[in-house]
Amino acid sequence: MTSENQTEQLNKLVHDARAPLNRISMNAELIKLVLENDMPKEKALDALNKIINNCQQCSASLQKISDSQ
Amino acid sequence: MLNILLVDDDVEFSDVVCHIVEFLGHNINTATSLKEAHQWFENNTFDHVLLDFMLPDGSGLHLLDHLKTIGQSPKITLISGHPSVKGILAEMCEPNVGHLLKPLQREDLELVLNGPKKAVKKAKSSGITRHFGGLIGESEVMHKLYNMIERVAKTNANVMLMGESGAGKEVVAQAIHNASQCEGPLVASNCGALSKELIGSELFGHEKGAFTGAIARKEGVFEQSNNGTLFLDEVTEMPIDMQPNLLRVLETKKVTRVGGNREIATNCRVISATNRSLIDLAQNNIIREDIYFRLAVFPIDIPPLRDRKEDIPLLAKAFLDQLNDENGTAFSWTPAQLKELQSYEWPGNVREIRHAIHRAFIMSDPQTSDIILPDNLESPFSRVNNQTADKPVSAGQTIEEVEKELIHATLDKVQGNKTLAAQMLGISTKTLYNRLNAYGGIGEYK
Repeated sequence: MTSENQTEQLNKLVHDARAPLNRISMNAELIKLVLENDMPKEKALDALNKIINNCQQCSASLQKISDSQ
Repeated sequence: MLNILLVDDDVEFSDVVCHIVEFLGHNINTATSLKEAHQWFENNTFDHVLLDFMLPDGSGLHLLDHLKTIGQSPKITLISGHPSVKGILAEMCEPNVGHLLKPLQREDLELVLNGPKKAVKKAKSSGITRHFGGLIGESEVMHKLYNMIERVAKTNANVMLMGESGAGKEVVAQAIHNASQCEGPLVASNCGALSKELIGSELFGHEKGAFTGAIARKEGVFEQSNNGTLFLDEVTEMPIDMQPNLLRVLETKKVTRVGGNREIATNCRVISATNRSLIDLAQNNIIREDIYFRLAVFPIDIPPLRDRKEDIPLLAKAFLDQLNDENGTAFSWTPAQLKELQSYEWPGNVREIRHAIHRAFIMSDPQTSDIILPDNLESPFSRVNNQTADKPVSAGQTIEEVEKELIHATLDKVQGNKTLAAQMLGISTKTLYNRLNAYGGIGEYK
């Protein structure tokens, strides 16, 4: 693999690892809103489950980056 | 409420953002590609577009071009995970295009959608209470004053305000007038500013032709303030031979215009003010005793500013807020500046601090929010007064004491050079040494 291809590959992997982080951050903001405004706790639980799933995804993406080196 | 379009290929991310934006009180629709976004714009308009930079069928910038061709110009916020996008945006110089970096925070979203909060400044300026519509200060002495104002306002007793120049006598008079909720107006007259000939006409009015130049009938301030409050400033500067006339009005509550022969009933509260001390009034025959008792049914002392230094930051903020409001500027004090203002004695009281702030305000650059205080806060007036107050020669001192003080002051001035000091004092150096020895040795001037 040429070094240019390698950089492009790495950029794509980093982008994939960032996506779950963005979702985690937004879901955390949503939970804050739920708690601050006494909204139904199901919404918060739903968001927490999404955070947990996305943590798994993020970890898997980081592993891919590690393997590609 | 805004109509918002979110263009992002990450459906799960869009879903959460929708929840949050809806909670912030806006309408939101989503598109996962440029193609979908184009479709939305065919039949709809949006106020704001939240736009991902990298989309499956092209860059977010392509949507900007498309919007230009169809003639729509919503506000655009590009969202990307890469800081370099900011540089690209800066090159484009588009005024209605902003940028947010992922991961997003709710505060960022609120800021781009609602704009900066404007309520903050208002809340700040209304944080200072103006007691009775004008008085500022939360110190103990001021609360005592508020207490007195409240009590006397309920009665119709005449009030005499005593306090140093600039302490705020007219503001207190206005406060008493406001608190008493009387029907009539507050009429102010400065007894010190009127000539002896005119004072009668000013206070009691005159009939047409009463004296040369009296071309029309005139109501005096006692009549004008009927059912209200009459504020007589510098009442102690009134010529003593006019005082019996005033006494008569105060006792009978009736005035006769100059040149008139009819008594007119008047019902007003008289608030008088003086910057002289009670002792001065009594010793120097400035005001007749009978008048004093009529005017000062309820005397009120207004504390000088140096006795309520804890109020200085409040006053400084209030005056600066007022200047900011009048001139559309946004100056603010630093804690160090407030401390500096607090450490000064302010012999000219509130008037002096107000003047100093106004001066600093004019000297400061309105493009910034930093106000610049002068190096020396002292006004020329207080400097002169200080010099005379520092070296007082008062009755009761012996010649020897004054001589000793003079010699020491002269030596201080010439840094202990005795030849020079003797020359300045007009005595020989030997005499100077003799005097110093007589005072207990040459000591520090060796």
